[in-house]
Amino acid sequence: MADAAQSGAAAPGENILVAEDVTKVFPGVVANDSVSVEIRRAEIHCLLGENGAGKTTLADILYGVYRPEEGQVLLNGRPLELHSPRDAIEAGIGMVHQHFELVPPMSVIENVVIGTPAKQWLDLTEARRRLEEFFADYDVEIDPDAEVGRLSVGEQQWVEIFKTLYFGVEILILDEPTAVLTPQGIDELFRILRRMRDEGLTIILITHKLKEVMDLSDRVTVLRRGKVVGTVDTADVDQRDLARMMVGREVLMQADKAASTAGEPVLEVDEIHLRSDTGRGSLEGLSITVGSGEIVGIAGVSGNGQNALFDAVVGVRHPETGSIRIAGQDTTESAPHRIATLGVASVPADRIAQGLMMDFSVKENLVLGNQRERQFSRAGILNRGHIDAFATESIDTFEIKTPSAAQITRTLSGGNLQKIIMARELSGQPQLIVAHQPTRGLDIAATEYVRRRLIQERDRGAGVLLMSEDLDEIFQLSDRIAVIYDGRIVAVTEPDATTLEEIGMHMAGASDTDQGPP
Amino acid sequence: MSEQVADAPQDSPRDDHEADAGRDPLSMLFQPGAWRLERRLYTRPVYELYATLIALAVTAVIIGLLVIIVGVSPLDAFASLYEGAFGNRESALETLVQATPLILTGLCAAIAFRAGVWNIGGQGQFIAGAIGTWWVYDTFSGLPAPVLFVAMFAGAAVFGAVWATVASVLLVRYGTNEILTTVMLNFVIDSGLSWLLSGPWQANNTPYSQTERMVESAFLPRFFDGSRLHLGFALALVMAVVVHFLVRRTTLGFELRAIGVNKQAASYKGISVGAAVIAVMAISGALAGLAGAGELLGLHHRINFEFGGQAVGFTGIIIALVARLHPAGVIVVAIAFAGLLNGATQMQVGTGIPAALVDVIEGVALVLVLLAAVACRYRLRKIAHHG
Ligand SMILES: Nc1ncnc2c1ncn2[C@@H]1O[C@H](COP(=O)(O)OP(=O)(O)O)[C@@H](O)[C@H]1O
Ligand SMILES: [Mg+2]
Repeated sequence: MADAAQSGAAAPGENILVAEDVTKVFPGVVANDSVSVEIRRAEIHCLLGENGAGKTTLADILYGVYRPEEGQVLLNGRPLELHSPRDAIEAGIGMVHQHFELVPPMSVIENVVIGTPAKQWLDLTEARRRLEEFFADYDVEIDPDAEVGRLSVGEQQWVEIFKTLYFGVEILILDEPTAVLTPQGIDELFRILRRMRDEGLTIILITHKLKEVMDLSDRVTVLRRGKVVGTVDTADVDQRDLARMMVGREVLMQADKAASTAGEPVLEVDEIHLRSDTGRGSLEGLSITVGSGEIVGIAGVSGNGQNALFDAVVGVRHPETGSIRIAGQDTTESAPHRIATLGVASVPADRIAQGLMMDFSVKENLVLGNQRERQFSRAGILNRGHIDAFATESIDTFEIKTPSAAQITRTLSGGNLQKIIMARELSGQPQLIVAHQPTRGLDIAATEYVRRRLIQERDRGAGVLLMSEDLDEIFQLSDRIAVIYDGRIVAVTEPDATTLEEIGMHMAGASDTDQGPP
Repeated sequence: MSEQVADAPQDSPRDDHEADAGRDPLSMLFQPGAWRLERRLYTRPVYELYATLIALAVTAVIIGLLVIIVGVSPLDAFASLYEGAFGNRESALETLVQATPLILTGLCAAIAFRAGVWNIGGQGQFIAGAIGTWWVYDTFSGLPAPVLFVAMFAGAAVFGAVWATVASVLLVRYGTNEILTTVMLNFVIDSGLSWLLSGPWQANNTPYSQTERMVESAFLPRFFDGSRLHLGFALALVMAVVVHFLVRRTTLGFELRAIGVNKQAASYKGISVGAAVIAVMAISGALAGLAGAGELLGLHHRINFEFGGQAVGFTGIIIALVARLHPAGVIVVAIAFAGLLNGATQMQVGTGIPAALVDVIEGVALVLVLLAAVACRYRLRKIAHHG
């Protein structure tokens, strides 16, 4: 199959894969609006854009998942008719999706050969030989017989990558491959991708992170709201230029923030143990203190106890041992309602499952949890006048884009959902704010907004416990940084006193790099 | 900054139902071609109403075809059905009599389902209500009439609530599936009633399993001469208003709707799911209990082994679902179902179609309305076709 693709192949630097005026429409959105991109042989080409810009959709069209309503794809100058990813692989195009397509209970080798076309003879010994060769060649330590479900996400990603290479693709598309990696894992990935490019592989890498584009790519195509803003040589631009292309206006690259003056502790978590049902993400003697007027950032790869910590602080789950004090009061065993009345605001990681009633109106969500406050009800009867007034005011101050306060929440976009939560949670002038991944999935404008708000609350005197997988966010916002690993805080430091690399080491379990990607 | 946000599509509400073909800028991109089924983000309530009405119309057609198979003109069948249900003042009033318990058991199911609690035990709670009524009657017979009435209805509500609470406590404490427990409790109370009727409460000098007849001062007043329509009907209407108010305008209603929509988010926001489940089940059971009191005090005036034979508790579940859990809808659907029950006898006499056809009608209507509820979350859309 690789041979077929090679006949009439483009020389390095010439266009190998071209999308011409490709349009793809989903209900209510034009995901790709007359998009044209030219990918050159043996380059690393980044597709950059905010969430929802249409990057994945474009990649899925190149990979045969979707057929465009208009426009066409050319491979080596000839129109390419893709009916499925199988066609794409046969044509030499492979893709690793954001959500892996592996079979967890099967071994690495089985996962790799699983896509072998029926007409081709399946030779497991030969497959193993080639796979071991690959791994040795690129210094990747994975046991071909290991069960895929037991590998770390970083390792699983390598399996996905080698799976496509095994079928001899010439063009490799990676959709946000760094989202699941530690900084070291990212370095490793980029090192190998550069080498693969030098050996002639064409790589299309999707990301929304400017730094990665600058580090890795030869050229970059920026997408915004389904349209191509432009394709540029990476060497000719800087991060600020790219940000402007991506967002369509000037962007503050750094959140402005005065020095903090941490006061009395508002949250004292002492040696808590909390076993999670799945066994993953338990807390194993975690301690952390947050003072008033400071932001404590918890860095860590997800699944190391962040959910349990969030739940324990807001009272949804209770630790088996250890204690939690909020504003001086013991809340180890307190119910969420009581903890909220102590002035604790919470911004959960999964805003749809944990933060909102999607079938409620916007105004109902704005008072959710506070419905029994004197402001909103008397003797168990809702005060609709006050609720309406409060909702109108919140929609105004928090710039929530909704046709009316009575709109059903389900119809709003992610950024606006988060603004509803922020408006609700910050309305009571909380003493402590627990925020878990508060900007995940938000566009740049909404992200900026949320971060600015958190800093404002800190300046007002609130203590903020911020858990995030986004290290840039941690570094930008935190007054102190703590690293969570395996249910414990393994390091506490200040942003000025450390580096991304050092935090990354801790996130991977200090020197214990087994836990990270290979 | 706000202007910048304003024109970003990610930040504008996705109002897809407004995007009718004519005004939808996207429709320009479409050429006539394949149809595609798309999920709506949000369904306007009127669409749900239309869908329900269409489902009921289709039900009528299907039933009509069934009737043709039996060899009767559907027009004749429906005419005699209607005649028996609403044809004259007398039959219309009798329909309302039959609707009375159905409204209450419909509300019983509707409010529980709103909270995502599957109370299938309306029938048992209905019986419990009748038992509670009789117990108060039996125990406090010396009370002056108005006080006794209040006490008897209160007794019915409490007994119904307690019977439902058995299931909700098991659910909250041990996570026992409430569908199973409420169904089983229906059987338990049936046995309990049989025991009462053949033992402690059995009327003297009779071989039958039944209580004495109540004294006339304990009969619920009737509205009109020559009709059995009693005060219980007014009570049912009042309770529909109460339920509506409770669900839409109180903190408790807010909370029980919340647990019905998303239990996880509710508990994160400090709503005690357990407390809300206990409360809603108690209210639900009390409503069914009131139905039991109404039937006893307004119509039968004694409990015998046929009491509850109409299975109003189960019909209430169907009514609640067909009414899409709206209290006003429950009134309408309950009256319609009562009309079917009432008209069926006339239809059987007039056309020879078995009255059991009514059960078929109810079943078909339920299935179609539920289907329509799902269907109206989607819409058909024409898209361009590239081959
Ligand atoms: N399968 C789908 N059905 C409906 N809408 C979709 C689908 N996939 C993507 N979209 C929409 O298309 C737009 C572009 O999405 P996507 O290509 O995933 O963006 P990106 O990868 O840049 O974040 C978004 O508005 C998204 O909601
Ligand atoms: Mg994507």
